[in-house]
Amino acid sequence: MTPAKLVNTLRRVFSLCFSLAILVCVISFNQNTARAAEANGFRARLSPMPTTPQTKNTITGSGEALVSLTGNTLTLTGAFAGMSSVATMAHIHNGPPAQPGPVVAALTATEATDGELTAKIELTDEQLMALKENALYVQIHSATNPAGELRGWLFAQP
Amino acid sequence: MKMQKSRLRPLTLRNALLSAAVALGLVACGQESTQAPTSTATPTAMTSAFSDQAALGAGKFAANCAACHGVNLEGTTLGPLLSGRPFLQRWGDRTPSLLFSNIKANMPPGGNEGISDADYLAITAHILDTNGVDAITAALTASTDFTIADNASELVANRQRSEPPAPEGITVAGNVDDYSPFVPVTDAMLEAPDPADWPMIRRSYDAHSFSPLDQINTANVDSLSLEWVWNMHEGDSEPSPLVYKGIIYLINPGNVIQALDGKTGELIWENWAGPANRQDMRNIAIYNDKIIQATTDARLIALDARTGEQVWETAVADNTQGFENSSGPIVADGRVILGLAGCARYIKDDCYISAHDANTGELAWRFNTIAKANEPGGDTWGELDDIFRAGGETWITGSYDPDLKLTYWGTAQQKPWVPVSRHLTINDEGLFTNSTVAINTDDGTLNWHFQHVPAEALDLDEVFERVLVNRGGEKLVFSLGKYGILWKSDRVTGEFKGYKETVFQNAFTDIDAVTGRVTYREDIQNAKLNEWTSACPSSAGGKDWHSMTYHEPSGLMIAPLSQTCLENAAREVALVQGGGGLAASRKFFEMPGTDGNLGKIGAYNVDTMEEVWSHQQRASFHTGTMSTAGDLVFVGDLDRRFKALNARTGKLLWETRLGTSVQGHPVSFAIDGKQYIAVTSAVGGTSPRTVPDVIATEITYPRWGNALYVFSLPGN
Repeated sequence: MTPAKLVNTLRRVFSLCFSLAILVCVISFNQNTARAAEANGFRARLSPMPTTPQTKNTITGSGEALVSLTGNTLTLTGAFAGMSSVATMAHIHNGPPAQPGPVVAALTATEATDGELTAKIELTDEQLMALKENALYVQIHSATNPAGELRGWLFAQP
Repeated sequence: MKMQKSRLRPLTLRNALLSAAVALGLVACGQESTQAPTSTATPTAMTSAFSDQAALGAGKFAANCAACHGVNLEGTTLGPLLSGRPFLQRWGDRTPSLLFSNIKANMPPGGNEGISDADYLAITAHILDTNGVDAITAALTASTDFTIADNASELVANRQRSEPPAPEGITVAGNVDDYSPFVPVTDAMLEAPDPADWPMIRRSYDAHSFSPLDQINTANVDSLSLEWVWNMHEGDSEPSPLVYKGIIYLINPGNVIQALDGKTGELIWENWAGPANRQDMRNIAIYNDKIIQATTDARLIALDARTGEQVWETAVADNTQGFENSSGPIVADGRVILGLAGCARYIKDDCYISAHDANTGELAWRFNTIAKANEPGGDTWGELDDIFRAGGETWITGSYDPDLKLTYWGTAQQKPWVPVSRHLTINDEGLFTNSTVAINTDDGTLNWHFQHVPAEALDLDEVFERVLVNRGGEKLVFSLGKYGILWKSDRVTGEFKGYKETVFQNAFTDIDAVTGRVTYREDIQNAKLNEWTSACPSSAGGKDWHSMTYHEPSGLMIAPLSQTCLENAAREVALVQGGGGLAASRKFFEMPGTDGNLGKIGAYNVDTMEEVWSHQQRASFHTGTMSTAGDLVFVGDLDRRFKALNARTGKLLWETRLGTSVQGHPVSFAIDGKQYIAVTSAVGGTSPRTVPDVIATEITYPRWGNALYVFSLPGN
C-alpha cells in the first residue's frame, strides 16, 4: 500500500470512526433526550366523577391522558371509552389531588363516547409548578353529565 | 292523636306492636329502579288527598328508594324492609312529621338534589299507605302529627315471598362433649391462649390477630387446600369464628350461633336467639362453660357452650329507642364487656360501654361515651342540651391489658356527621367521641383518653380495634381509623407517641408531631349546609372494621387499607326530640395517585412507623389481616380471592377463589397437631362494601353465598 493509499485509507477509517462516534453521540444524545422526556412525563388515569348508587350507571367510562413537557410546552395525548354519552368538552383544571379547581386550558376531545384527547398548551410558570405538584387534572364533560363525567389527576411518571 | 277515619277498618295496632323489639333503619343507599311498584296494601275504597299523595309517592319511592328497600318495601341485601311489624314497631308511636324529617335529612345518602319537600311527603305517604295507615284523608304536611299506629288498621307484612316463622332457641341439639371433652375456660386460658385455639375476637386480649402456629409457612403455603366448607345463614356478615379445643363457635346473621366440629365441619348444635333478621354480628365470646352473645337488638345472652341451651339473658339497652349491637363482647376478669351502636337519635339515653357479671348477666358498670353538660368534658358540646348530644358509638370490640386492668376502646364520631348539621362548630370537640378511652375494668371509670379527631366532620371515625404492643420496655397502644392514620400512644398514660399516614389524606393540613393534634382544612372547618366538600379518604375508611394484625416476629403492624375519596354535603337537622340521624349527602370516587387500586395491605415498623412494604390491587380487601408464626399474613378481597402473603416482604405466595366476596376475620387453629386456616365469605359490610360497589363496578360476585371455608395442608 502506497503512502497515499494508506493516508486515504486512514482518512476513510478516521472518517468512518468519526461518523460512528457522531452516530453514537447522536444516539446517546437522543437516549438522554428520551430520558429527559421521561422525566418530564406525566400520566392521569381517567375514572368516573364522584358517583353514588343512583348515578353509577350514568357516570361511566375510563381513560388515560399522557403528558410530555418540553420547557413550558405541554403536549397531551389520551384516549377514553365507555362514557354514558358523547364528550362535549375537555379541560385541564388546577386543583390539588381530590380538590376541584378552575379551568386552566381546553383540550380537544372526540365528540363520541369513545375517543381521543389532544392538546398543546403553553403553561405559565405557575401552572408548570402546579403540574409538578400534582395540582393539574384532566376532566371530560359529556352531553348527559355537563358538570363532568371522567376525571384524573396528572402525576409524574416514574 | 287519632285522625278521623274514612273507612271501616277501625282496629289499631299500637299496643300490639310495642311489645317486641326489632329495630328498623333506613340505609345508606338509593338507586334507580325500573320495576313498577306492586303495592299489596288493601285497595282504598275511594280516593282522597292522602291516597293521591301516596300514589304519587309510589313513583318517587320507586325512583329513589326501591333499589335498596325493595319495590314493595320488602327490603333487599342493601337495605332493610320498611313494612310490616318491624316498621310499625319502630315508627308506630311516632308521627308522620318525624318520619318525613328523618327521611329528608338522611335519604337517599347519595344526595337529594331534585327531591322536593312535596316529593318527600309523597314518599312518606306511600310508606304509611303501604303499611296500612288508612284512617286519614288529608294529605300529609311537614307538621302532620298524628300517631302512626293509631291510624293503621292492619299489619301489612308485604314481603314478596311468604316465609315460615323463624325458629327460636335450639334447632339442632347436640353436645360438644361427644366430640371433644369440654374444659371450662378460665381467665388464665384467655390471658395466654393455647396455640391451638382462637378463643376470642383477634385471638388474644392484645388484639394481635396473630397465631403462633407455624406448620403452614412460607415454604409450603402454596399447597394449601380446602378441607371443608359450611354454608351459613344469609344476611350481612363480618364474622370472626371462635375456636376452642377443636370446636368452632360461629356467629351467623340473624343472631344464630352454631357449634361445628372443626375437623369435619359437622354441625353439633344451633341456637336462634332472634330476632331473625339479616343484620350483622361480628363476634361472640367464650368464658367458663358459656358462649356469650350480644344480639342485634341489644340483648346479652349466655348459652351453655356444650349444648347451646340458654343460661341467662339481660337487656343491654332499649332497642325500641334505636340501640343495637353489631359487635359482641370480650370477657375480662370475669366481666362481659361490650359496646353499643345505634346512638344517632336525639333521645335521653346516650351510648355507653357496659360490663356484666359473666355468670349472671348482672350489670356491673357503664361508661358513657357522651359527656353531659354537668360532667367532665361536658363543656365540649357547645350549648347543646344533653338530649341533642349524639354519636360516640362503640361498635367495634375493645382489647384488654390484664396487668393494668384497663380495657381499651375506640369511640365513633359525633352525630350528625357535619358540625353545622349538629348545630355545633369545628371548635366543639364533643368528648368522648372519636377517641381512645382506657377504662378501669373494676369500676368502669375513665383512666385516660386521647381524642384523635375532635369535632369530626366527614363521617370518618376512629372506633376500630386497639392493638396492644410491648416494645423495648414501652407499653403501647396502636389504632388506625378511617383517616388512614396509624396512631401510637403510651397505653399506661395515654401520651401521644407518633403517627403514620398509611394512605393519602387531605382532610388535615397539619398533624402536630408532638401532640398529635390535627388541623382540618379550612373549607372543611367552615362547611355549610348543602355545600359540597371533597376529601380523602372516604367513609369506606382508609381503614374500617377489618382488624389489622401485629406480626411480632418482624415488629410489623400489617393493616388492610382502602383508597377512595368522597364529596360530602351536610343536610339540615332540626333539634327535635326523637330526630337526629347522620344527615349528609355523599358521592364517591377513586383516590388520585393510586392508579385505581382500591385495596392496599400496608406493613409498618412499629418502632420507626415507616412503611416497610405494601401490596396494592384494584379489588378492595374485605377481611381483617391475620398473621402467623409461619411468617404468613392472610387476607380476602371483594373479587372472591383469599390470599397468603409473606408477612416480612408482602410477596404473594398463594391465592384461591371462593364462592363470593371474602369477608370477615380469618383465624387459625390446630386439632390433633394439624393446623387449619379458616375464613368466611359474606355479603353486606357497610361502607367498605357500598363504596367499591359504585367505583369498581366491573367487579362482579354473587350477592349471596355466606360460608365458612377451612383450609389445611394435604397429608398432615
